[in-house]
Amino acid sequence: MRGRVLVIGAVVASLVLVGAYLAVGGSSYTPEKTQNPCKPRPWSNPQSLGEIANQFTISALDGAACKLGVSRETLARALATPEGRKRFAEKYGITDAKLAQAIRAGLLRAVDDAEEAGALSPFLAAPLRETLQRIPLQEAIELIQNAKSLLGNVQSFLGPASGIIEQFLP
Amino acid sequence: MLVSFNLVMALAAVPAALLARRVGPGRAAAVGLAIFAGAGLACGLADSLSTLIVARCVQALGGAAAVTAALELLPATVGSERRATTIWAAAGATGAALGPAIGGLLTELVSWQSIFLLQVPAALLAAVPILSVAKHEAATGVIEPELRRTGRPHVWANLALAMVSAAIAAALFLLVLLLIEGWRLSPIEAAIVVSVMPLAALVGAKLSELVADARSRAAAGAILVSGGLAGLAFLPKATVALTVPPQILVGVGLSLVLSALTETALGGRAPQAIHGGWTISARHAGVVIGLLALTPIFTHDIAQQRHDAINAGTAVILDSPVNPLLKIDLAEKVSERLEEERGKVPTIGPAFEPLPSDPVTRAEVEQLRGELQDQLNRGATHAFSTSFILAALLALIALFPIALAREVEL
Repeated sequence: MRGRVLVIGAVVASLVLVGAYLAVGGSSYTPEKTQNPCKPRPWSNPQSLGEIANQFTISALDGAACKLGVSRETLARALATPEGRKRFAEKYGITDAKLAQAIRAGLLRAVDDAEEAGALSPFLAAPLRETLQRIPLQEAIELIQNAKSLLGNVQSFLGPASGIIEQFLP
Repeated sequence: MLVSFNLVMALAAVPAALLARRVGPGRAAAVGLAIFAGAGLACGLADSLSTLIVARCVQALGGAAAVTAALELLPATVGSERRATTIWAAAGATGAALGPAIGGLLTELVSWQSIFLLQVPAALLAAVPILSVAKHEAATGVIEPELRRTGRPHVWANLALAMVSAAIAAALFLLVLLLIEGWRLSPIEAAIVVSVMPLAALVGAKLSELVADARSRAAAGAILVSGGLAGLAFLPKATVALTVPPQILVGVGLSLVLSALTETALGGRAPQAIHGGWTISARHAGVVIGLLALTPIFTHDIAQQRHDAINAGTAVILDSPVNPLLKIDLAEKVSERLEEERGKVPTIGPAFEPLPSDPVTRAEVEQLRGELQDQLNRGATHAFSTSFILAALLALIALFPIALAREVEL
């Protein structure tokens, strides 16, 4: 009889422990899944030119990553350091030219996303799109030398239009 | 190294027991302890991994001789064969639970070499009382012929022992790895955390005294080990406190199941040393199988989870409200940390130093650091889940041979 009590006690203790851990999220304690870059990502509500540039860069990363078939996060890490870019190029067989083309496509997607989110007026979106499509490949390659220059370029690209953009800010 | 020691123990236990029967347990134990001490010294002074592995294998040979011969010597000391079996089985269970805690403490407080160097005086001290028995055996010479007869080993009990040992090895080995490699605890902190298991094993030993039926104790123990391992597989947070309840279950369980199965395997069988040898062999073979089966799974999972955690961490940085230029600075520093600690779960704290002086930015950066660390902790913890689940299943499957294992009077 004591033996049976011991076995039942062991079953109960085990079930209580596992049940309690599962109830408080034991099965979902995993790293967050990254989003497919080809799916639209909702824009936050940008309050300044800097925030627009940030949002714009993230959209551009999504667009470029979608074009290259990698995650936004992988691409962001590739652009974080020159070594990262080299490793990325080796691992995925992506040349600088291909990467620059993808970044250009990403920037176009960013204009689309900004326009759709109401952060950019259609009157501004059209000339921006035109300018982006005319960026020479070599300049686009220089744009991706590192993430800081990419962000700087986005800001300088948006800079001349800042007066108009700010009028459209919420 | 862990595999080689256990493999040699598994292979040498029964031959060592046969040898002990031929030359006498006193002489076998004395020689075994001397070999164990000498090889321990060689381990402590080893200047290369290959030397250390060879010395550990030799140590396993000495250990096999000493442990199996001890079972023959114990009845004379404790008064009865049954009592000797109980003590011998309980010592084995307690030793299994104590190993990681003592090893971690010595590694941190002194050095890893000290683990082996301390074994030298311990083994020599243990040999002192045996010397008189050995001398007596040398004087009288031949062992009674009828004592050389051996019965069949208890297949079900030994099979269950192997399965449960594989699961327990996973619990001990993987938990220490999770704490040190995954959660970045120091060896001494990890040793303190895993000391819960030997303490719980003491409770298990007390419970063993209250229940006579070995099969019930073995079943309850296997269930507790399985439940504890499942608890470790479903940790809801990377917090040391949450490892305590599963460790209690594993500790109590291992004490119950190892001693009950060893008693069952030895019950009514003669000679004890040889059947003890079979149990040692089964236990260490189980450890080898457990380590060999689970290590590739765990290695694959940790690489996968590291990748997922780094992706999730990158997403956290990208989506954070921190100023974009500061964000890029942080991303570069975090990338450097990942480079420096390639293949490991990185410590990202230094990437955030020095913190910005502006209170708002500082708060944002601290939040970002916390979220990033959370993603890494999630990855590190989840990387062990599959291995813990498989080990838990192994302990549950052991219930089948346990159900078939009866104590047979031969």
